[in-house]
Amino acid sequence: MAGLQTIINKASSLLIDRRKVVGLQITRNEIPRVTLTPTKQPWKMELEMPSSLKYYNNRDLLEALDTMDRVSPEIVTFSNNPCLNWIFRYQGTLSTTSTGLLIGSSVQSFNGNQLILNVPVVPGNRVIFEPNDLIQLGNYPYPFTSTTRVLGGSGTVTVTTNRPNILSYNVVGLSVTVGNACKFNVFCPNMPTYKLIPGGYTNINGSTINNALIEFNDSFQLYEYVGTA
Amino acid sequence: MTTPIPAVANNKANITTAEYVKLTIYNEYGNLANNNVYTFSSSYTSDTIDGVEYSPLGGLLAVGQQNRSLRVTNGDTSVQISGIGGNNIYAVLESQGKIRGSKIEVTRGFFNPNTMVLANAVVRFTGIVTNYSIQEDREGLEDNFTVTLDASSFKTILENRIAGRKTNKNSWQFFDATDSAMNNINSLAGFTFDFGSDPKSKTVVPGYNGGGIPGGGGGMTKPGDTTNQNRK
Repeated sequence: MAGLQTIINKASSLLIDRRKVVGLQITRNEIPRVTLTPTKQPWKMELEMPSSLKYYNNRDLLEALDTMDRVSPEIVTFSNNPCLNWIFRYQGTLSTTSTGLLIGSSVQSFNGNQLILNVPVVPGNRVIFEPNDLIQLGNYPYPFTSTTRVLGGSGTVTVTTNRPNILSYNVVGLSVTVGNACKFNVFCPNMPTYKLIPGGYTNINGSTINNALIEFNDSFQLYEYVGTA
Repeated sequence: MTTPIPAVANNKANITTAEYVKLTIYNEYGNLANNNVYTFSSSYTSDTIDGVEYSPLGGLLAVGQQNRSLRVTNGDTSVQISGIGGNNIYAVLESQGKIRGSKIEVTRGFFNPNTMVLANAVVRFTGIVTNYSIQEDREGLEDNFTVTLDASSFKTILENRIAGRKTNKNSWQFFDATDSAMNNINSLAGFTFDFGSDPKSKTVVPGYNGGGIPGGGGGMTKPGDTTNQNRK
């Protein structure tokens, strides 16, 4: 079983943190001065779990989490669950395949945070990307977002992404996946432990057996595993 | 001499910077070409500065304080790199102590804040690694491995340096056997010269068959010369 994917599927809330590493000072006359360290800016997500999960029905989940511990990453997505796939839905108007591939599109270059894509020629008023649209290059599960609205009009568009090109691979010519089909490579540095609270009997084949509710001691704080990007 | 840094000129309120550390371990005394170079950076990607590629995967954790003064002052700093993965610990241990004395340079790179592309870089610290330590901090189930390199600036190194040669024949010819510049220095040892004063007396240098010091610009005394001492 995919532990973190199950956590995402069953979470009761999702907190997204993409803040950057900054130095911030406010001078005596209240002028702010800031510095920015151009890091890989990993995605950080905090997921809270409901207290209604039952032990008997989720032993495989607990085993998966214990096996994964705070060490192993897992590739997760928000597309395989109808309750979640609206979160990162593609907002542009280009056609995509069922797997989220932007048809007829490829990467021309990606320097800094300037991503240049070859896209089908569409009228200039057609939206290619809206702000916050997810963009994944090739099969590398480290998605970027568009920070601005990007319109068509020619066969090439420039997207200013939320973070610079963190990929250590050659990206020229890669396909482009958008929306909720994008994948995240994350691990859980704080991997919560769990407590079993007796209750919630379960009926198995006509016989009632003991069960317990699972209470995690913390939220799941997922952290993008950018060391392999 | 000052080095202008356009990225921070005119009191810019927003700057984007990363630090780059270059460590050069010399493997052989007197052969600078035989070295291993390790680079670390806090940037998001590999950047090339002066022909050297700085990897973002070097595991740079922290760079210590670097003193800034108008005058040339001593400055020590430290660089912490991750011990997880083993490469950094290997680099330290593989050198078999040679990491002490290796050259360390800290460069600050300035990025275009709009495109996040490296615009220019300025060297901020150049020094020598004087010590290293490998630490493991374990608290409960949290285990941290850190390699710390202590570095001193060149000025500190020069102040602590004991070298050079004495002004005598033996020391001079230790470096160059044909150098005769100090051949006569033994005969002058122990004499006191009153440079600039009128010659008051004729002084005989033992073994030199008379004759004053060429130039005759000053008086000269030798140990036990009571005449000159009385005139002072």
